Amino acid sequence: MDKRVLYSGAGAVALLCVATAAMTAGYGTNLVCWIAIAVLTAASLRFVMLIGELNFATAAFVGLGAYGAGVATTVMDWPFLLCLLFGGMVAVVVGLVFGYVTLRTKGPYFLLIGFAFTEVVRLIYTKVHWLGGNSGMVGIFPPRYLDAWLPTFVVAVVGVLLLALYAIEKSHFGKTCIAIRDNDAVVQSVGINVHMTKVACLCVAAFAAGIAGGLSAYVNNVISPGDFGFLLSTFALAYLKVGGEDNPLGPVAGAVLLVLLASVAMGMGAGEHVFYGMAIVLSVLLMPKGITGLIQRGWEMRRKRSAA
Amino acid sequence: MQTLLQLILTGLQIGSVYMLFSLGLTLIFGVMKIVNFAHGQFFTLSAMLVAVLVPWLLMQGLPLSAAFGLAVLGGIAASVVLGMLLYQFAFRFFQRDLAGSFILSVGLVLLFEGAFLHYFGGAVRSVPPIIDGTVSIFGTAVTLQRLILCLVAFGFTFALYWVLTRTRLGKAMRAVAIDHEAAMLQGIPYKRIAFHAFAMATFLGAVAGAIMAPISTVTPTVGADYLVKGFIAVIIGGLGSVPGAIVGSLFIAFIESFGGYYVDPSSANMAIFVLVMLILLLRPKGLMGNG
Amino acid sequence: MIRMGTKTSTAFFVACVMSLGTQAASADEVIKLGLSVPLSGAGANWGIGSQWLCEEAAREIKAGGGVKVGGKTYNYQCVAYDNKYNAAEGTKVAQTLLRRDNVKFIGGSLGTAPVRALQSLTEREGVLLFNVAWGASIKGPDYPLTFTQMNTPNEILFPLIKFVKSANPAMQTVALLNPNDATGQDTEKIARKAWESVGVKVLSSDWYERGTTEFQPIATKLAGVKPDAVDLGAAPPSDAGSVFRELKAAGWKGVQVVEVGTGAEGLVATGRGAVDKTYMGAAVTFDGPNVTARQKELNAGVQKATGESMNAVQIGFYDSVMALKAAMEKAQSIEPKAVAKVLPEITFPSVFGTAGFGGQKTYGSPQQILIPVIVTQMNGDKLVEVQRIESEELKQRLGR
Repeated sequence: MDKRVLYSGAGAVALLCVATAAMTAGYGTNLVCWIAIAVLTAASLRFVMLIGELNFATAAFVGLGAYGAGVATTVMDWPFLLCLLFGGMVAVVVGLVFGYVTLRTKGPYFLLIGFAFTEVVRLIYTKVHWLGGNSGMVGIFPPRYLDAWLPTFVVAVVGVLLLALYAIEKSHFGKTCIAIRDNDAVVQSVGINVHMTKVACLCVAAFAAGIAGGLSAYVNNVISPGDFGFLLSTFALAYLKVGGEDNPLGPVAGAVLLVLLASVAMGMGAGEHVFYGMAIVLSVLLMPKGITGLIQRGWEMRRKRSAA
Repeated sequence: MQTLLQLILTGLQIGSVYMLFSLGLTLIFGVMKIVNFAHGQFFTLSAMLVAVLVPWLLMQGLPLSAAFGLAVLGGIAASVVLGMLLYQFAFRFFQRDLAGSFILSVGLVLLFEGAFLHYFGGAVRSVPPIIDGTVSIFGTAVTLQRLILCLVAFGFTFALYWVLTRTRLGKAMRAVAIDHEAAMLQGIPYKRIAFHAFAMATFLGAVAGAIMAPISTVTPTVGADYLVKGFIAVIIGGLGSVPGAIVGSLFIAFIESFGGYYVDPSSANMAIFVLVMLILLLRPKGLMGNG
Repeated sequence: MIRMGTKTSTAFFVACVMSLGTQAASADEVIKLGLSVPLSGAGANWGIGSQWLCEEAAREIKAGGGVKVGGKTYNYQCVAYDNKYNAAEGTKVAQTLLRRDNVKFIGGSLGTAPVRALQSLTEREGVLLFNVAWGASIKGPDYPLTFTQMNTPNEILFPLIKFVKSANPAMQTVALLNPNDATGQDTEKIARKAWESVGVKVLSSDWYERGTTEFQPIATKLAGVKPDAVDLGAAPPSDAGSVFRELKAAGWKGVQVVEVGTGAEGLVATGRGAVDKTYMGAAVTFDGPNVTARQKELNAGVQKATGESMNAVQIGFYDSVMALKAAMEKAQSIEPKAVAKVLPEITFPSVFGTAGFGGQKTYGSPQQILIPVIVTQMNGDKLVEVQRIESEELKQRLGR
């Protein structure tokens, strides 16, 4: 059953890549990139929800990935893929330390530690001059041969990581995490090291977030500390809530809808905030399970009707 | 010695506003387990209405104290009404849903910030102080306006404390905060309690905004800075704990006051965040929290 | 309920895709000027005023018969998007303007981080970029299509501080305070040099986070070093007013300077009685004897749109449009590269009088607008112009 889902997922990703490659470069392909990065960030957030925690430090990991890739490109001049991976690894290492220290707390406290952590990291960026300080870092360009293919590459990477996250979620490890979410005392009593499992889960999510950050650095070419404040985590959570946090496709649905809405709202000036805020409020009030929840309910109702 | 006193007084003044803010936040969380990021909007609305009404009332010929009094009442009333509407049509459905209530409140923040910007304009407004002049306490200068602010804030804090410990409503709230199912089994009307708690929290936030207006800059985004500090105060003190909120607020205020003087304001900010993390690591439920 | 949900979201999706697909066909007679400015948050007023001034300049040009190039008449249309003062949004705005709207001229951009995001794209794609960013790093021979449309600390600080010292010769020491961001950091570097060049010692230099509302601790610290002067650098007027008010409450008296101060309203709103005699370097007054009727008109318009009077930042957005018209007509071309080549050679009617572009000595290539530095001072709660300083290069260009 899972193998089928994985194969059809891989097929969908391949199809998307071809579609993206066929698109002419322009605003549309940029939009696709931004949506893909948003999807990956939201998926990273969702992955930590498997252990039942709301990881507000997601923005910090995205930022670390972006700055890591940025430094590797502009300062150390490494090859492209190595830079991207470096960004991801920076996020993982920091995630390891952060998770080890903070995952002893739960619920709202973990949420707010993540919040504080994101702000501390952001303030550090503004004070470190060789990272560009407040102006940020410029000139983060992908290699020339990739210029025309960047959107396809981004979609491919995001697609592969989404599939990987799904595979891990359905694996033994993923099931352990979900068990921890439901009742960690029971899991502990069986002899599993709950703490290290939670840390491992966070590290996986941190890697995904770091890659998302690195990709965004290459897509935008410019990064600044202000891009990675708690607002980024908030938007990731919005994508997740609107898309539906129970379903692995939730991040996709939510990110697609909200990023497109933001693009439509861009010309509205101050009205943009009102429009976007209204969209979030309405979707949370009217669709508590998100878009995917809505679709799933539709299918179940149809199945019931045909069965009756 | 002079400097030390000055810094302590400053800390008390700053802390008193954070206190009013965080009391509202902790009350809402304690009773309903809702994380309300939009709490700052009650503050902003109240402050903006005061900033708008005072000049208008002055033009109508009212003396300053009357104008200020009416404006304050108007601002607080409007905020409380807004809070009631939000509770009735939105937050009520998200009790005990951490992520859901949080996201809802974020959406509301975006909405209200945009709306305030549209209706009030982005320009900074000011409110003339009710009482001008400084007073000397132990040799350090304190403006009368800030002193009044301090006294009002502490006054409301003690009032809240009294309500929570001496009145039936207050005890019911605490019972619900500790275990809402057990409280309902005891016959406590949960819905009514939750409603009152939200109203009280909104009221506190609105009061904070109204009395801060003469001292601070009033813009559509003024609630945001206080909101973050208020949240941190609540975390340090322990979500749901009123004494904790008071301790947390004063703690942050003193770091801001002393840190801003001996180091510099942005490092003091960073220090506050780092300290939050440390405290939470050592005492995961906050200094005085009980879940 | 479910049906409605799917229907509306599908409709939305289709609408969005359609809006992507349609490339706006650029009409022959209309040239779009892109604007990347904050339209929300703390900088909203600057953005809203800038947009109004761009549109007003476009209106004025249209009423005057348009821009005549190659036998055709062109008019300008201002397209503004909110960059929220950060790089990520700035990039989105850049992409929208250049890729979706096919804009070839950026009439103005505000905010160092979003401007840099925009610049990395405009230089690559051959788009002319006007900006009001402070940093010196965005100008230079590597960026031939970038032009700065207002005075920056490099132009303002030395003349301003020299004037302040000559008006207050007893001043020996100064304490600096700046917001902790790119603008503040750039300003502080130059301010230090300027103060030291007139023999005033810099006792301390502090930073605060934008968004702070409680200034008492920092004011206590500033008062504690007992400086003769306090220089608030790049602090916005409302923050500056709060700082001065706290300084007064702490008992400090001295020379007050807000280098990047753009207007009196914010200062007076928060500072009330504490801002008398404050000097500002980027503000403009509109009730002196030198003020033209047109300037008063423009100021009234901005006042209506934002609630505050016009400031030097927003004026840049009017000046750039005027400069563009003059350059296009001189070059007889609407190609960005040709226009950019001609910009340093022309003079054009700015809000401040005739102006041009220069700055080769400072930046390596002539990309800086040449307009007088206007020193203003608070007299009670009114702003008064006390000195208008023209740089040598401007004087030369105007033939004085």
